[in-house]
Amino acid sequence: MDQVVGPKYGSRGGAGKAYNQSFAREVYRNVDSGEEIKMCMQCGVCAASCPLKEKMDFSPRKIFTLIRAGQREKVLSSQAIMLCTSCYSCKVRCPRKVPVVDVMHGLAHYALRQGYKPRAETALFGQKFWGNIYRLGRIDEKDVALRYFLGHGLGQGIKLMMENKNMGIGMLWYKRMKILPERPIKNVKSLRKMLDKAKAMGKGGAV
Amino acid sequence: MNYFLYQGCSLEAGGIHYTVSLKAVAKVLGLSLKEIEDWNCCGASISYVGGNELSVDVLAARNLALAEAQGGMDIVAPCSSCYIVLNKVNYKLQEKPGLLAEVNEVLAEGNLKYSGKIRVRHLLDVLFNDVGLDKIRSAVKKPLNGVQVAGYVGCQTVRPFGEYDSVEKPLIQDRIIEAIGATAVSFPNKMRCCGSGLFLTELTACYELARDILGDAQTNGGKIVSTACPMCQMNLEAYQKRMNKALGTNFNIPVVFITQLMAVAFGLSRKEAALDRLLISADPFLKAA
Repeated sequence: MDQVVGPKYGSRGGAGKAYNQSFAREVYRNVDSGEEIKMCMQCGVCAASCPLKEKMDFSPRKIFTLIRAGQREKVLSSQAIMLCTSCYSCKVRCPRKVPVVDVMHGLAHYALRQGYKPRAETALFGQKFWGNIYRLGRIDEKDVALRYFLGHGLGQGIKLMMENKNMGIGMLWYKRMKILPERPIKNVKSLRKMLDKAKAMGKGGAV
Repeated sequence: MNYFLYQGCSLEAGGIHYTVSLKAVAKVLGLSLKEIEDWNCCGASISYVGGNELSVDVLAARNLALAEAQGGMDIVAPCSSCYIVLNKVNYKLQEKPGLLAEVNEVLAEGNLKYSGKIRVRHLLDVLFNDVGLDKIRSAVKKPLNGVQVAGYVGCQTVRPFGEYDSVEKPLIQDRIIEAIGATAVSFPNKMRCCGSGLFLTELTACYELARDILGDAQTNGGKIVSTACPMCQMNLEAYQKRMNKALGTNFNIPVVFITQLMAVAFGLSRKEAALDRLLISADPFLKAA
């Protein structure tokens, strides 16, 4: 069922090559905004507009093609899906209105849920960031940073703190850091209930 | 002119000088900004790590529902990331009744409901379209004559919606810079990304982005960089020293909020303009009252 034979495109192309569409179907079904890639026509404007394209193993355009070619492992372990800064340059220029940012975020979330860690540092930071939202309803900048540093283990955490020491002191000195810990919002309990429910209802990670 | 202020998390900490100067400027211009009671974080651009799309939508929708229940005025978001997240979700909810129903099912856990009637706007939009350049001009007491400002726009201030300014060639911030007497220098990289929420975890890549923006601003005559986004301000200013060390550059450019420039031009004090909160002093270029 999943094996379809590619059409004959002239003498070269994918003549007679079997494409496995099961991963594309998995993406459409399980990845947030995944079905949007059906609109992609491979023009490459997203790649040309991306500020971090040179740091990516595959450009967004290539990611979309790899999905269609059934390259599950390559896509879910790709660095690119976690290098999106959400600058929306691609989205505003895409002639087919693919929300590339949302697709990349959806793929990254799905990959993390499947046990892949394309960019471990950003994954750790994002995890601490979300932890703050769940615990407090808000972000306490110093708290997220500290938890991120210490999330590397004590030794490495202290090393990272030393690297960021001067910036931290500067923020304190110029009164741009709250000294006291952030208090949770008033209705944080109902917010947590909402987030639990949304997690159960949404796709973004279903297997 | 009455609005809800969606302050967001940054504006209480790393971007506190945005809040201080904004409140001082709003008073002069007759803008009444009321905080949304019990607001929560919008999720910014990194929330996808911990939450699926529906969870992220719910974070924004809860704020919209609170605003609707508390009076329904337009929400002004000074932070570009808050603006884009709230706005993006708001449009989705207005356009997709199925999603709105789903989100309301979740919001019911906190006895909240959203019907889709709120408008989310960026501060620059309100300053330009509601307040207007004439009113800004008439509030100026100490025009910033001769100060060359590079108005850095970045990404989420206008992209992806381009509701009030062009997504490729935005001009509103420059018009405000000119209205307060300063010179807006034009520099091609004013729309390039600063690295956003990835700065801390992707230092090397983001240093290069910041270098290209600051270098371009400087080459084209900018002495001060102005922005309307706390993430851009933090990335371009607070990391500047470390970036110099890593890349062998020697930048020392102050990066300020547009509201800080306005406060100085309106003749407000150094403290009201929050010039005392800058890691890289703007005092050589700006003389507050």
